Amino acid sequence: MGIVSAFELLAKYHSIFLLGLRNTLILTATAFSIGFALGITIAVLREFGPKPIRHLLAAYVEIIRGTPMLLQLFIVYYALPAIGIVLPPIAAAILGMGLNSGAYQSEYYRAAIRAIPRGQYEAALSLGMTTRQLIEVLAIPMAVRIAFPSMVNELVYLLKYSSIAYFLTVIELTYAGKIVGAETFQYLEVYTIIAIIYFALSMAIVRFCKFVESRIRVPGLGAPEATRGLI
Amino acid sequence: MSGEILRVDNLWKSYSETPVLRGVSFEVLRGEVKVIMGPSGSGKSTLLRCINLLVRPDKGRISLEGKEVFPKPYDSIHRIRQKIGFVFQSYNLFLHMTVLDNVRVGLIKVKKLSKEEATKRAMEALRIVGIGPELWNKYPAQLSGGQQQRVAIARAIAMEPTIMLMDEPTSALDPELVGEVLNVIRDLAKQKMTMLIVTHELDFALEVADEIMVLDGGKIVERGKPSEILNNPKHPRTRRFIERLRRRVEHGHR
Amino acid sequence: MIFINIKVIEEYGPIILSGLNKTAILTVGGFGMGFAFGSILAFTQCFGGRISSRVATAIEESLRSIPLLVLMLLIFFGLPEVGLSLTPVQSAILAIGLRSMAYQSQILRSAILAIPRGQIEAALSLGMTKAQLFTTVIAPQALRIAIPGLVNQFTIDLKDTSIAYAIGVSELFTEAVHVAQVALDYLTPLVFVGAIYFVITFAASSIMSRVYKRIAIPGLGASQ
Ligand SMILES: Nc1ncnc2c1ncn2[C@@H]1O[C@H](COP(=O)(O)OP(=O)(O)OP(=O)(O)O)[C@@H](O)[C@H]1O
Ligand SMILES: [Mg+2]
Repeated sequence: MGIVSAFELLAKYHSIFLLGLRNTLILTATAFSIGFALGITIAVLREFGPKPIRHLLAAYVEIIRGTPMLLQLFIVYYALPAIGIVLPPIAAAILGMGLNSGAYQSEYYRAAIRAIPRGQYEAALSLGMTTRQLIEVLAIPMAVRIAFPSMVNELVYLLKYSSIAYFLTVIELTYAGKIVGAETFQYLEVYTIIAIIYFALSMAIVRFCKFVESRIRVPGLGAPEATRGLI
Repeated sequence: MSGEILRVDNLWKSYSETPVLRGVSFEVLRGEVKVIMGPSGSGKSTLLRCINLLVRPDKGRISLEGKEVFPKPYDSIHRIRQKIGFVFQSYNLFLHMTVLDNVRVGLIKVKKLSKEEATKRAMEALRIVGIGPELWNKYPAQLSGGQQQRVAIARAIAMEPTIMLMDEPTSALDPELVGEVLNVIRDLAKQKMTMLIVTHELDFALEVADEIMVLDGGKIVERGKPSEILNNPKHPRTRRFIERLRRRVEHGHR
Repeated sequence: MIFINIKVIEEYGPIILSGLNKTAILTVGGFGMGFAFGSILAFTQCFGGRISSRVATAIEESLRSIPLLVLMLLIFFGLPEVGLSLTPVQSAILAIGLRSMAYQSQILRSAILAIPRGQIEAALSLGMTKAQLFTTVIAPQALRIAIPGLVNQFTIDLKDTSIAYAIGVSELFTEAVHVAQVALDYLTPLVFVGAIYFVITFAASSIMSRVYKRIAIPGLGASQ
């Protein structure tokens, strides 16, 4: 392959690459946000909620973690119509990824909530806080700070796994590559370009988050990062 | 104004069959400062935690300003706790909040004061404990232990409690920082703040306490005027305990 | 569940299960390859010269930031352009293996780095050579520390074999989708394979955690 032909490809098909890039970013950002809201909710309910709900959510998390994300997207996209829920491909992908990420993120926040020193809770209680106030004032803000490095890892994970929306024919980066490849038969060049874009995006996300972290960092508060590999 | 603020009657507490409190009874009147002493493991922290219901007693009765707190609380537990200031040995400031927010958060979230009103009161409390504006935007980890404990005291007094419970407020501090915290507590005593303090600072207790109670094996084995307890203890175990404390002070560590 | 059609499972269950074979080959092949090369990469990063360890780190980091699907498509559709045509199964194993290598390298490297420095100094002061040091002290300790992470990577590799659907490998997930298209019922076959993945990941985790306990040495372990 040639560098020249790679640039030619990029120039000629820039609009489809850009469309792919746009959808990849949309998938990643929205799925992360859904996963964040869901993850915090699950974590709080599993730590402070009633027993039956704890068990139910534990089962949810285990099922999500024990099955492929691709399968989850297929269930959302192809199987939900059987019960009357029809979603366009990109919405199904976002929902599936969000449901998946919520389960993983809940584990990060749960670990973080548990890492909050006991004395912090006791101080909140001794001021007369209710459980609700304690969750809002102490548990969530602290858990998010403690779990921040894990959140960055999760974001990079979702960036990469957003490629799976390819199977629902969402024109994200990887699918854009497929379209250009099918037209030019220069698969090697096309997918190398795609790989480099993912690589650059990962780096950019990590850099950006380091910057954000330096902004929200609180002296004396921090924790080792967890990834999907090591919770 | 005089009157009974806290009354504890025949309080029992066990941890998995091991009794930690075995029938503790005493009372604290308005404006009084009572000091609890006793060897490690005698149940001092458990007693204080029972009073603000961080730990649930097994048996007995606790009342605050004549109203029952345990076993049948006259109000919800969190509303009762608002009236009881608690100062921890390890300060327990909220690590993710600035000094000012630490003192404000209870006023805003729990007492539902407006932000302006809460800020005003928080600043007043910080002034009382001698924490100047240059520290208000710092995080706990950026303060010395003595400063942290003073902020923790400010956080408690800002809630305008009817009684303050302090669990060894100076024992986690480096020796040179103990004085600044004791001075703050001394000032509170002068302002007639009602306090129940676990401490082993003998000179401080002698000066400030109205009564010293010695806890041993979950029971109050001796109680009386500080001068009597410290200079002329009746109980042989109390005598040994006080002697040990004296020796520690002479040898310069606590 | 009312939406699950038992008849579909009775009729097509065996077809779906026939995909188990390929799933196993991809998982074991990919994970095994990842372990072999991941160990070399980790070793190079920890003990190699400056340049070789830099190269190893660069390989690891770039592979970790590329989606598995892209890697698979690149290998299957791209490599023939330079005269290297691999079958779908070979391509899938290679892709899964390369990605697994990058992650296992990271897992093993942090395990090696978690061994207290004093252990190494003690071994050297006994007069051990570097090779002896590695086989008798570093490898046994690092492997024990790394086991939870490796098991996790194993389950990730297993679940991601489903991505080989993209290049037409007839593994579990692909078979389930084909059955779904024929039976005009997506939920039943998908839930059915989902249960299979779940059982295998669950079994893998519990077997491995038992192994982990069996070979555990007091005072040495991963804080998971
Ligand atoms: N949550 C708990 N679970 C079980 N046992 C406990 C618990 N808290 C305290 N104990 C035990 O109860 C006894 C009294 O503890 P407590 O902390 O009240 O003693 P203390 O007088 O405050 O001691 P110190 O001077 O060391 O602070 C100790 O033997 C302790 O081990
Ligand atoms: Mg104590």
